[in-house]
Amino acid sequence: MSIVTVRDLVKEYPAFRLNSVSFSLEAGRISGFIGRNGAGKTTTIKSMLNLVHPDSGEIYFFDKPLSEYETEIKKRIGYSTGTVNWYPRKKIRDIAEVVKCFYDTWDEEAYRRYLAMFRLDEDKTPLELSEGMKVKCNLLLALSHKAEILILDEPTSGLDPFSRDELLELFIELKKTGVAIFFSTHIISDIEKCADDIIYISGGKIIAAMPKADFANRFSINGENLEQTFLRLERGAQND
Amino acid sequence: MTDILKKEMNLSASVLSYLFIAFGFMFFIPGYPILCGVFFVTLGIFQSFQNAREANDIVFSALLPIAKRDVVKGKFLFSCFIELCSFVLMAVAVMLRMTVFSEAAVYRDNALMNANLFALGMALLIFGLFNVIFIGGFFKTAYKFGKPFVLYIIAAFLTIGIGEALHHFPGLEMLNAFGFEHIVLQLGSFGTGALCYDIMTLFSYRRACEHFEMIDL
Repeated sequence: MSIVTVRDLVKEYPAFRLNSVSFSLEAGRISGFIGRNGAGKTTTIKSMLNLVHPDSGEIYFFDKPLSEYETEIKKRIGYSTGTVNWYPRKKIRDIAEVVKCFYDTWDEEAYRRYLAMFRLDEDKTPLELSEGMKVKCNLLLALSHKAEILILDEPTSGLDPFSRDELLELFIELKKTGVAIFFSTHIISDIEKCADDIIYISGGKIIAAMPKADFANRFSINGENLEQTFLRLERGAQND
Repeated sequence: MTDILKKEMNLSASVLSYLFIAFGFMFFIPGYPILCGVFFVTLGIFQSFQNAREANDIVFSALLPIAKRDVVKGKFLFSCFIELCSFVLMAVAVMLRMTVFSEAAVYRDNALMNANLFALGMALLIFGLFNVIFIGGFFKTAYKFGKPFVLYIIAAFLTIGIGEALHHFPGLEMLNAFGFEHIVLQLGSFGTGALCYDIMTLFSYRRACEHFEMIDL
């Protein structure tokens, strides 16, 4: 069942156009949103969070339009990014203390559980955390209010291979609890490791949005791995 | 409403915003342009905006399950809270100078503005200018605050200068009234200042909501 539908999303910038982006996400699945830098991943994600105003198009979460049910929808989603951190000099405890006020679904027990699972120290500030731990800190807040879908913008960006692997393992664990994960990346091995579905964007256009196996069947030739397929597709797009 | 104010106070605010409330007591200082205290209070609020920008506070707030106008409301509520806290201190100083210290030589022999109800009205006018020029200007981008702050500084010091100069003009001496002299005029000027503060803050809040709704973060 689709829990997110993005339909014909258009956003025009002077030097870039997000061109009729459409895809859907399903509960309990991991969707990898892949594309090179500047392909439109962050613009799409920001549109899905109403941080950017699309020129046209529709975004539905849980069959409800984002434009009309923004507050209600935001209670059911979690967002994290690997590139930005919030309140770098505030203790995690203080940030959580404020965030919990906004969610009637806040689960203190889950908060404690994930705190232990992620080995996060509440008395540390984001500034004192490694890049991987910062992502986990954001995930901690999202999961503690029982987010049904996690929207993650390049969560593995800047992580060392061990932290990346650990994070991707975590995605697989979370998927088993029914959480849908939508994460953008330009690292193809992340997709290979854990994604069920691939959404491939290039030059602001969705080239493919399908299960990983179908993607390989349709686009890979002569026993190529995913990395080789993407590189060939990107080179083709550049030549066009 | 209280949740977003709590977020402002606990996460976004600079400690200077709270410390600078004490500049309200500058209304006690003789021989000093007392309205500068009002400017220092707003300088403290400015520090919180700076703090908030460094902490990616606006995007964080916009991701919370609240309407976008509530992000704007949070900033206005916090600013008004600080302004009104310092206003209380100023009001205490004015009350004491109007009663207990009304005959004190140190205040009587003061070439600068007296701390009376007219001064309180001027203080509210400057706070209103901060809300309309700085906060309103900030929410045009939700990022840039240099230009709005410079514009506010110019407007604030022009207002301070006018406030300080007015009672030196022939016929306007009564604006520098001591104690309960010319109380109707004092009350009227205070009421005008309060009205200006309300109108400017409300106008700025509405404009800021409109601008913020259209901004791509």
